[in-house]
Amino acid sequence: MKKILSFLFVFLALTSVAHAETFVFTAIPDEDESRLRSRFDKVATYLSQELGVEVKYIPVKSYGAAVTAFLNNQVQLAWFGGLSGVRARLRVPGSEAIAQGFEDQAFVTYFIANSSTGLKEGKDFPGKIQDKTFTFGSKGSTSGRLMPEFYIREHFKKSPEDVFKRVGFSGDHSKTIQLVQSGAYQVGALNFKVWENEIKAGKVDPSKVSIIWKTPPYPDYQWSIRGDVNTIFGAGFKDKVTRSLLEMKDPDLLASFPRRSFIPARNSDYQPIVDVGKKVGLLD
Amino acid sequence: MSFIGIAVFCVLVGDLEISTLDPWQEMGRMALGAVSPDFFTTENLGRAFLNTLAFAIIGVALGSALGFALSMVFHNPGVRFFCAFIRAIHELFWGLIFLQAFGLTPLTGVLALAIPYAGIFAKVYSEILDESDQAHLKAAPEGTGFISFFLFVRIPDVWAHIKTYTLYRLECGLRSSTVLGFIGLPTIGFHLESAFKQGNYEEVAALLYLFFALIASMRWWMRPKLVPFYVATALFVLPVGADISMVNVVRFLTEDIVPGPLRWVESYNVDTFYIFGQWLRVVVVEQALPGIVNTVVLTMIALVGAGGLTLIFFPLVSAKFFGRWPRKAGHMFLVIMRSTPEYIMAYVFLQLWGPSMLPAIVALSLHNGAIIGHLIGHHADQLPARADAPKGLNLYAYDVLPRIYRQFLAFLFYRWEVIMRETAILGILGIHTLGFYVDSAFVDIRFDRALVLIVITALLNISVDKISRTVRTRLRLSRSPDIV
Amino acid sequence: MALFDIQDASVQYNGHAVLNGVSLSIRQGEHVALVGQSGAGKTTLLNLLYEQHKKEIALLPQDLGLVQTLSVFHNIYIARLNRHPAWYNVLNLAHPMQREVAPIREIARRLRLEDKLFTPVGELSGGQRQRTAVGRAIHQGSSILLGDEPVSAVDEKQARVILDCIYEGYETVVMALHDVTLALAYSDRIIGIKDGRIVLDQPSSGMEPSDLDDLYHH
Repeated sequence: MKKILSFLFVFLALTSVAHAETFVFTAIPDEDESRLRSRFDKVATYLSQELGVEVKYIPVKSYGAAVTAFLNNQVQLAWFGGLSGVRARLRVPGSEAIAQGFEDQAFVTYFIANSSTGLKEGKDFPGKIQDKTFTFGSKGSTSGRLMPEFYIREHFKKSPEDVFKRVGFSGDHSKTIQLVQSGAYQVGALNFKVWENEIKAGKVDPSKVSIIWKTPPYPDYQWSIRGDVNTIFGAGFKDKVTRSLLEMKDPDLLASFPRRSFIPARNSDYQPIVDVGKKVGLLD
Repeated sequence: MSFIGIAVFCVLVGDLEISTLDPWQEMGRMALGAVSPDFFTTENLGRAFLNTLAFAIIGVALGSALGFALSMVFHNPGVRFFCAFIRAIHELFWGLIFLQAFGLTPLTGVLALAIPYAGIFAKVYSEILDESDQAHLKAAPEGTGFISFFLFVRIPDVWAHIKTYTLYRLECGLRSSTVLGFIGLPTIGFHLESAFKQGNYEEVAALLYLFFALIASMRWWMRPKLVPFYVATALFVLPVGADISMVNVVRFLTEDIVPGPLRWVESYNVDTFYIFGQWLRVVVVEQALPGIVNTVVLTMIALVGAGGLTLIFFPLVSAKFFGRWPRKAGHMFLVIMRSTPEYIMAYVFLQLWGPSMLPAIVALSLHNGAIIGHLIGHHADQLPARADAPKGLNLYAYDVLPRIYRQFLAFLFYRWEVIMRETAILGILGIHTLGFYVDSAFVDIRFDRALVLIVITALLNISVDKISRTVRTRLRLSRSPDIV
Repeated sequence: MALFDIQDASVQYNGHAVLNGVSLSIRQGEHVALVGQSGAGKTTLLNLLYEQHKKEIALLPQDLGLVQTLSVFHNIYIARLNRHPAWYNVLNLAHPMQREVAPIREIARRLRLEDKLFTPVGELSGGQRQRTAVGRAIHQGSSILLGDEPVSAVDEKQARVILDCIYEGYETVVMALHDVTLALAYSDRIIGIKDGRIVLDQPSSGMEPSDLDDLYHH
């Protein structure tokens, strides 16, 4: 038994050495999941040139899987949503938010409705959505779950299950549009960037689905990095990563996120998300 | 009869509303995709295919080896419970658990398959051994060693049976391995789910067709003699054991799954237990209970639905009712129905009817109806036929149906537990079964909750298995369909 | 000293008495035939005897206890599984070795099974199977043989060949036989059983088949 254990130990040591040199990152799968690899491999190539180490991207299937990979040190850097980033950083001591998208300083959730509901866009929270069917996006999304749920609870003083006739989770923002457009759900909430992209791409039929409310702005997506990268990749590595991200100017690369540019971020920028998360009960 | 009563009651309490306004646009796109499959958009398709095969082969091989070892001691009640427990947890949940401990490594996928399969294999192998002819057990002289006795006396007569069953399980393994892609393992399921979510139905169709081809062609490439070669190749494709970090495993076992209230505090006192009680109340009352109700309701309706469809499906593949070519078509229909992952089917129906239990019920009924229909059709063909037997509907109602009825019930009750396990995966689709709450707990990085819910799910499955066994014994339907 | 000794044994099966106060002792070297109608309790009595000397007994059960998918050779080889280590048995399962095949071929020759030596038992006729089971009992080479109707599926000529083989190899034989003529010819002691009781126990010499008629009529 001892022998087996020591073998295992040597084996594990060897494998961890072998992988210490590769810097790995991931991104939450919040929209267009096809060709994830080709899109983010380009980002990996860019980072590799800037950082002088091998950089690899691994695709994940869910917000939870992205957080787990970060927790397990399978990735050292991740493009998280507001909520998933907070979750990850709470669990990994020393980890930091280092950059956010320009748009993420003031991110917005759109409530959309099927035209059959007769709901029109207004300035105030649309109280008339009560007793309709409603779909969030992914369960772990900030813009598709946390923020809309927060505003729903604040307005109705009830949980979404009690407010709506039926509550669903479409899985991602694009699917939310599709389900509301087909009438499978009457109302939905999603990331405004995805809505605008899909409008541009002509995938939305404005006669069937439209915006009924825009939430106040809140901080969202960010790059988070593990605290122990400097000990593995050398002193100053974290700063180098931050710089590379902030200096990413190639529109082709930025389109993968899709963001105009990246700007500096700090953990404290996301305190509002922590507060909201605790209120809604999605954070312990 | 009382079961139909329960199902009717469940239909009344169940949520079956059709709420879609305009499903036809999306359905049209799906149909268009189905006739114009695009085999070239998926990136790393070849690799995903190899992975799907490799996970299935190693997982089933390991599961069958473990299961075989367990079947030797299956008569021990502790072992029996242990096996019931590990097979009561869906491979997706095992996958989610191992994902936390081992990350996205080959070991995660292999164990997610091997562990529940070991529980199934242990049970079925032990049933096969028990049901075999017991007469020759006294053939060997007193003092014969265990291994010799086993190889010479117990195994030879059931070997063919064990082989057939194991191969059948490999087909299930391919489906499970695909489904594991839904939670992120690099099998074709990974791409299938993405393509589906994105509405790339041309890609979905291509992936599904390739998957059907893989399963349909199994009998040509899966030769018992090639098994060692396949396992070796699979191990080469998926280096199981690489990239595991003990730190994560230890953290998962000693921190992540410890209930939050016990983890957050420095020392335990009365308050800790009060908070722990609150925590447990939330998990059990607000999640587990509604989850159990929905799971049971969905399972019961789907069970009766599967039964009804079986009675319609089985003549399609029986020589008693149809000629060669219609039968071939019927066969193909049933193969497609039973190999399409229930998740995909439910998703299509969700588009059609909107969110309720209906899509899940129809998906589960079709899937299981096709499986039992196939078995019953086969069974019907083995019934001796009278030369002067009636034809058509009269034959069906007066001759065949009464004769297959008990077998039909046996298969149906046997599927009961399986259907319940499958509701897990539909929970991930958003129907509020126990699977829904388990999935939510994993998304929320609340593994402590996930574990409690998984254990509850397992216990529910075990109870249903127990009831099903009691019912089958009472109806004197002891033989399980797996070993017919 | 008696080899087998049973005192006042009763056996019930589902509340139904199969043996009722049976006492019996059998000495080493005796050739005993159990006769009586089917259901009289012969098989149960044989089982009681088997329990007393499991280790020295070769058993020839009524259902033969053959492994259908194994060949005649392997079924006979099973008789000596306890004499070899497991690895050696496994080796012979995969590839029969000459030093094991030779003696078994000889037994098969005497039982006229030589040409079927490597045929799976499942493909043989009823008589051939019975002979295979006898071959296994012979190969076991213990000192006691308990047989339960081992020649029921063969004609009288073949039956004599088989019984010759058995009685040649075993010192003590206890055998249930419904064929009264054969019972008288091969044994030196006849035990008649009726309704779970021993109703007759005497040397076979001088007995006529008709003396046993009572056992078969009410």
